Amino acid sequence: MADDLNKDPKFDIWTTYQALLVNKELSTPLAAILALTELVERSDAGTMFELVKALNDGARVLSQRSPNPVSLNAGCELFIAFVTLFPHDSDSFSNLKTELVKQGRKYATEALTYREKIAEIALGFIKDDSIILTHSYSRVVMKTLLRAHERKRISVYVTEARPRGLGLRTFDELTAAGIPCTIVLDSAVSYVMDKVDFVLVGSEAVVESGGLINAVGSNQIAIIAKAANIPFYALAESYKFHRLFPLSQYDLPTHNPNILAFPLPSSSAPQNNNPSIRTSDENKLMHEPPRTMTHEQIACHPDVDYTRPDLITLVFSDVGSLTPEGVSQYLVGMFAG
Amino acid sequence: MSTTTETITLTASLKLTTQQDMSSPSHPPPKSQKQMTKAERREQQEAQRAAKAAAKTAPVQPKPGPSHGRNASIGGKGTTPPSGGTPKKSGKEPTTKPGKGEPKEALHPSSQLDETPRGLRIFSHFGTPKPPAITKGDIHPAVVRLGLQFAEFKITGANARCIAMLTAFKTVIQDYVTPRNNTLSRHLMTHLSPQITHLVSARPMSISMGNAIRQLKLDVSGSDIDLPEQDAKDTLCDTIDNYIRDRILLADQVIQETAGKKINDGDVILTYARSSVVEKSLLHAWESGKRFSVIVVDSRPMLEGKALLRSLTTASIPCTYLLLPSLPSVLPHTTTLFVGAHSLHANGAVFSRAGTAMVAMMAKSRNIPVVVCCETYKFAEGIRWDGVSKNELAPTPFPPSSTSNSDPHSLKPRPNLSILSPLYDLTPPSCITAVVTEVGIIPPSSISSIPGALGRTMIGA
Repeated sequence: MADDLNKDPKFDIWTTYQALLVNKELSTPLAAILALTELVERSDAGTMFELVKALNDGARVLSQRSPNPVSLNAGCELFIAFVTLFPHDSDSFSNLKTELVKQGRKYATEALTYREKIAEIALGFIKDDSIILTHSYSRVVMKTLLRAHERKRISVYVTEARPRGLGLRTFDELTAAGIPCTIVLDSAVSYVMDKVDFVLVGSEAVVESGGLINAVGSNQIAIIAKAANIPFYALAESYKFHRLFPLSQYDLPTHNPNILAFPLPSSSAPQNNNPSIRTSDENKLMHEPPRTMTHEQIACHPDVDYTRPDLITLVFSDVGSLTPEGVSQYLVGMFAG
Repeated sequence: MSTTTETITLTASLKLTTQQDMSSPSHPPPKSQKQMTKAERREQQEAQRAAKAAAKTAPVQPKPGPSHGRNASIGGKGTTPPSGGTPKKSGKEPTTKPGKGEPKEALHPSSQLDETPRGLRIFSHFGTPKPPAITKGDIHPAVVRLGLQFAEFKITGANARCIAMLTAFKTVIQDYVTPRNNTLSRHLMTHLSPQITHLVSARPMSISMGNAIRQLKLDVSGSDIDLPEQDAKDTLCDTIDNYIRDRILLADQVIQETAGKKINDGDVILTYARSSVVEKSLLHAWESGKRFSVIVVDSRPMLEGKALLRSLTTASIPCTYLLLPSLPSVLPHTTTLFVGAHSLHANGAVFSRAGTAMVAMMAKSRNIPVVVCCETYKFAEGIRWDGVSKNELAPTPFPPSSTSNSDPHSLKPRPNLSILSPLYDLTPPSCITAVVTEVGIIPPSSISSIPGALGRTMIGA
């Protein structure tokens, strides 16, 4: 009987999570926290131990089924740590659960204001007539840029961010808001870097080392910015701080041996002779038919990459503007205490 | 011997007279140096040397002289008790004479009858290694034995030394009897202090031992006055056991699991010398099924890597062994570098076996992640920028118990040759990628925030 009730929340977890994601404002960690809150509400656990176990199982289901689990894991770990450290001074366990659910929902509501806070903090670093470079699409960067546009003049370069091409979405939204914006090929970043005043990117997660996990291409931009002595700022809400510590690109949890591996000699189907498949008809800017990678080749690529902390100047978060070293001190204080 | 110029003899006569007064008060008041002939001066000095050798039981403290350099070498000599005599001295009586014989502006002493090496001018502030001084007061036999083991480098490594010391102290505490009109909580530390001094004279204290002693002092002074003596002693021994278990053994278990997660199949792990916790991590990772290979880098004089190699190959881990100069040739094949630490400082610098800094710098320059495994009880409050300010020198035939004839390749001390073997060096935090502790993996810059997170007031507590 306990199994049945446990199976039910498991099913609910994924569909709940998906339903929550429909709200565009909710990022994946917040949706995960809310989904776990639902799990607590429906859970039949009688002790803290059972509850935490159920939460861990739910988190595992979510991360296994999600294509990009890093930020989701950050949110889940934060909530589970919160539940574990919550003082058990209430008499009955169901009271405790109600309290947890309430806190979880309250946190999620408050967390939606984090992007505003971050935009406020970052505003101080944006001077009038700044030229900003950003990468791919990020809601928090978007909010910051729109807020800056209200009071200052800014121009934005945005990278195309292949293969998903989310940079074009940024381009559309910024142009619609009246901000002068130019889309830049991923390979042309070093070409424009000397014109840029600073680089502003969002994040999937900020990790224990002080490094950044973000859409693939961020590391390249950071390295170019460092070489050109241009500040590199990362915007991250505090629920994206994760206790992971990747030692290198290949130590990321998203990495597997098939990513960008050499093909085995036996299985070489002549892929070069395949007719080139146009990625999407969003490439209106190209006039001649360019060749692009096949879908299989694109599938071998990572979604996110890891930027080392020495390449990052500052991390702007709702807890303040932190240096990469400060991120680790914040994390240690939060999780080890 | 005395080819000193007039000016030097004048200034040095100050020291001579003072030391003369200290060692042989029955000596007649010296004539001024100028008045004596060279032969008389030589006679006087020979007499002084003989007198000093006969009378001295403890090292003479030289008064601060005019020339700092000379003072440094004299200081280096002065700390070697003539009764013991390090092998470097080869049985000759140490005097201040050879030290004085190397004045800055003087010529190279032509007729050096004394074959004693002149002593190190740099690094003499480390003090030369020496056997434990003749003990004053009651030193517990367990501590005497431990001191000998330390001095002969039979027990090496921060963890091993700390555990051995704490275990010896448990014996001391059990054998301790509170004197009348005194309490255990107040008197025990006074009783332990000479034991600690004895150990320090054998080998300088490690940070790990220092932190453990500090914790022990806190526990002793906090012990309940009303407890009967045996109960108080048992409580203290339990506290010591808990310290060893929690801060060292359990911490090592957490570290080996965390570090094991950073080892993947097919990796080539590089390690330097022998760290107990790195050894445990590698063995643990192998037992949990990961299949990797290890490169052990080693260096003289301690050659600790050999023991690590033996331990790893017994577990069937494929290993490569090489000496430090050949390091660059294996770096292209390395995945990760794991090293241990003697201590970690507040600025993130790692104080570890001499050679670690080189290995870390070379690895970092090739983007190989450098992982330091260190328990939190080894964290040190101070900040260190280099390995020169505080270090330890290895005794010249190494290990001290062996005769110098055993290894034909070992350097023998000669009059013009001083052998310098610092045991430790400092790796700057910029070369370190991650530090694995029992509270998790942290970047080196966050070391100072760990005690606060754990509810402790200071680093190393």
